[in-house]
Amino acid sequence: MEVQKEAQRIMTLSVWKMYHSRMQRGGLRLHRSLQLSLVMRSARELYLSAKVEALDLETPSTPTRCPDPRLHPPREAEVPAACVPPDGEPLSPEPMDTQEDEEEASPRAAETLARCSAHPARVGRKRRSSSLSNGVDAGLVPSKKARLEEKEEAEDASSEVPDRLLPPPAQAEGAFPNLARVLQRSFSGLLNRGPTAPPTAPPARDAKPVCRPADPVLSVLVRAVVAF
Amino acid sequence: MFSGPRQRGLRLLTHAEWCGVPSEADIISTVEFNYSGDLLATGDKGGRVVIFQREQESKSRPHSRGEYNVYSTFQSHEPEFDYLKSLEIEEKINKIRWLPQQNAAHFLLSTNDKTIKLWKISERDKRAEGYNLKDEDGRLRDPFRITALRVPILKPMDLMVEASPRRIFANAHTYHINSISVNSDHETYLSADDLRINLWHLEITDRSFNIVDIKPANMEELTEVITAAEFHPHQCNVFVYSSSKGTIRLCDMRSSALCDRHSKFFEEPEDPSSRSFFSEIISSISDVKFSHSGRYMMTRDYLSVKVWDLNMESRPVETHQVHEYLRSKLCSLYENDCIFDKFECCWNGSDSAIMTGSYNNFFRMFDRNTRRDVTLEASRENSKPRASLKPRKVCTGGKRKKDEISVDSLDFNKKILHTAWHPMENIIAVAATNNLYIFQDKIN
Repeated sequence: MEVQKEAQRIMTLSVWKMYHSRMQRGGLRLHRSLQLSLVMRSARELYLSAKVEALDLETPSTPTRCPDPRLHPPREAEVPAACVPPDGEPLSPEPMDTQEDEEEASPRAAETLARCSAHPARVGRKRRSSSLSNGVDAGLVPSKKARLEEKEEAEDASSEVPDRLLPPPAQAEGAFPNLARVLQRSFSGLLNRGPTAPPTAPPARDAKPVCRPADPVLSVLVRAVVAF
Repeated sequence: MFSGPRQRGLRLLTHAEWCGVPSEADIISTVEFNYSGDLLATGDKGGRVVIFQREQESKSRPHSRGEYNVYSTFQSHEPEFDYLKSLEIEEKINKIRWLPQQNAAHFLLSTNDKTIKLWKISERDKRAEGYNLKDEDGRLRDPFRITALRVPILKPMDLMVEASPRRIFANAHTYHINSISVNSDHETYLSADDLRINLWHLEITDRSFNIVDIKPANMEELTEVITAAEFHPHQCNVFVYSSSKGTIRLCDMRSSALCDRHSKFFEEPEDPSSRSFFSEIISSISDVKFSHSGRYMMTRDYLSVKVWDLNMESRPVETHQVHEYLRSKLCSLYENDCIFDKFECCWNGSDSAIMTGSYNNFFRMFDRNTRRDVTLEASRENSKPRASLKPRKVCTGGKRKKDEISVDSLDFNKKILHTAWHPMENIIAVAATNNLYIFQDKIN
């Protein structure tokens, strides 16, 4: 699906930018890293909600799912309704020549759909926690191993001495090998599109409709920021 | 101010280009007029500061139109290496701020990512001659040969402008410094990085007070950073800082030592219809400037400039679109990193107009009274010395008229991030990559 591809492209691009920003003079910039991780998160949400939609369209009545009848019909109604106004907008604010349409079409599509995916994404999050626990792309769901690693790293990070007094310790170096490993893992997860390990949806996820806490790529990316 | 029926317009006063072949180091990174407007300081990526001085218009030099010529050039910052973090510290000058003039010398603060320096720029036009212990070449004289004593005499010499670092304020910032601002008390100044703001005394280099700290206990919970900070022009206890989330906090240093709790919080509610994938990034404020009156402040985010009344926190009193036609191009601008560009903005002396930069060497000026705005271009081709700048127009759709430029033809490598306005006159300085343009509003 185009939205999915576009979201994936933006995610890949963001990760590349993040990795590349380490190489630049002056090192990682906190503001830039934060902005990249924000885009990553938005892309990821879009990707996941698009994926959920795609799966729903493929298998409308899978018994293994926990269907929420309240959510299903309103979502389907919302998506077209929400999408119509943005699509119906005159394209005159898009000052593109026709030859570049193809190039611009996908980002535009992503943005337009992103606008209306704000609705299904919110609704979709609720669905996601239930549907993901049924073996959707496991590359996006943290495995137990990743969570253990995160826990260790989180402990390291919080044990930092208040850096009003000291420059941050050199454990930052340790964050980067982990970043590379997680990037590799998440890349293969994105590309394989098949469950590779039994997923475990952390219980904390159901509590909040927010795409936090256990997000290996995102949290490690933010942790890489601790390198200061 | 903007070309009307009376043949008024902006004319090129001075054009300076950094070197012949543009290299990374020659990119101008900050521009600032001093309090009188006679001096204009520029900083570049190579850590150099170049100061221009306005020529006095006088009868004896009728050809001089009050141009700005190079007054002093010096290397302010050098690249450094942080061995602990294995990071290079860039020598790029992020900001220059002048101190009010108190004697014959001029003082300015210049900062890179980590270190702030106070520079003294002084003129020397006399030289002492007739020393006893050394002769005119500077060689020491043989003391046994000295048979008579003389008093050295001051003789005039060619003007020499010297810059010397008087204070170095270092090791106070873990993150990258984005702003410095001199207080109205002329004794203190603030420096802001991504997470903290420090207060310094101009005389004291080994101590600074931390007045804002937004670093979360757990860095994973980081959601916003400080993007700019400025002292109020008249109230020495008040300052503001902007965030990457598009909010501004006004703080009063009298309320507590650590100003983590703001006195005022300025945020415009987001328009849900304009929400898009990149909404969060483009709402990040890249610059905040108080008006000269101190009643208003202006913020710049990626697509617009907003004027806020300090007495109203709920929304800005004015919003000016800089290049709204880019809203549909945000994805491409993300790909080429342009979406991260940090544009600055400035007020004119009377606070009746504001100016900010854009792409394709365009810059925009907004007249707050007449509500008119104009797009102008700063480039050599378009700046003939006696011709006034022609307004430019970007075609956003439909048929492109003659003289209009389509959005796809815009050169996103030619960006105007830094502009400055003379404190009293209609003279503006515009930095376009490695070129500096100074325009003056003149009647033909």
